[in-house]
Amino acid sequence: MSVAIGAAIAVFTGVGAGLGIGYATAKASEAMARQPEAAKDIRNALLLGCALAEATAIYGFVIGLALIITK
Amino acid sequence: MSNIQSALTEKLQNATAFTIPVFGGIPVAESVVVTWILMALIMVLVLLATRHLQPEKPGRLQSLLELAVGGLNHFTEENIGSHWRSFAPWLGSVAVYIAFANLSGLLGLTPPTKDVSVTAALAFTSVCLIYGSSFRFLGLRGGLHKFAEPLPLLIPINIMEIAIRPLSLCMRLFGNVLGSFIIMELIKAVMPAVVPAVFSLYFDIFDGLIQTIVFVFLTTLFTGDALEQE
Repeated sequence: MSVAIGAAIAVFTGVGAGLGIGYATAKASEAMARQPEAAKDIRNALLLGCALAEATAIYGFVIGLALIITK
Repeated sequence: MSNIQSALTEKLQNATAFTIPVFGGIPVAESVVVTWILMALIMVLVLLATRHLQPEKPGRLQSLLELAVGGLNHFTEENIGSHWRSFAPWLGSVAVYIAFANLSGLLGLTPPTKDVSVTAALAFTSVCLIYGSSFRFLGLRGGLHKFAEPLPLLIPINIMEIAIRPLSLCMRLFGNVLGSFIIMELIKAVMPAVVPAVFSLYFDIFDGLIQTIVFVFLTTLFTGDALEQE
């Protein structure tokens, strides 16, 4: 039981990643609408930012999984 | 809970395909065997695709290949700069391998990138490339000076990055592939027909390709960063 709760708490890292990626995407689409000619650079920056933001969710997921498996 | 737990644990074991009967038995992991299969597949595809290349009037396939290679070269040149020629073939090969590995779930194989050893090896080669190229092209002094940029105060953080970069590259790829693998297994367990095919589009194809792009993109960016001169 406590393992399940621990894993659930670990997966809460997804909240931060979701907020971060959502915010980044919102800003990127805003910037692309304002300057369509810079769309390529913006997309590159967005991809990098999303990859880094998503990493936190992945860490939470791996830790949750490790908790369940190594119990 | 214990049901799911045992099922998960079983799926997550990196199965040993066979054991080489020398020196008391060398276990060969399933990921290695799948990698061999993928290597053979890629070799055959490449040999078939590059037959009858004509410089004068390219066929449809050749135009497609030229577009892909040209795109890769352009992307590398844009991010790495004047030394791009040394890096484009390596980055392209890694991209092809990771894409095939991530998509191998479609062929009913176990994706090799689900094994943390494989992604750790890929991340290790990436970090060797990043710091190796910095010393190769900037010299010993320049490479060491890179650690004191932009401020000498940041030396500990730059040294920590040597460990953090491969860890994050490795865990990102591994976690994504493993996550989609588990979700696909769970969906298959609940509903064996039709439904998995729809989800497979997202989890196997889209996610696999995105992770390929992210891995190669981050490696390229870090390398470009390591080669940047003041």
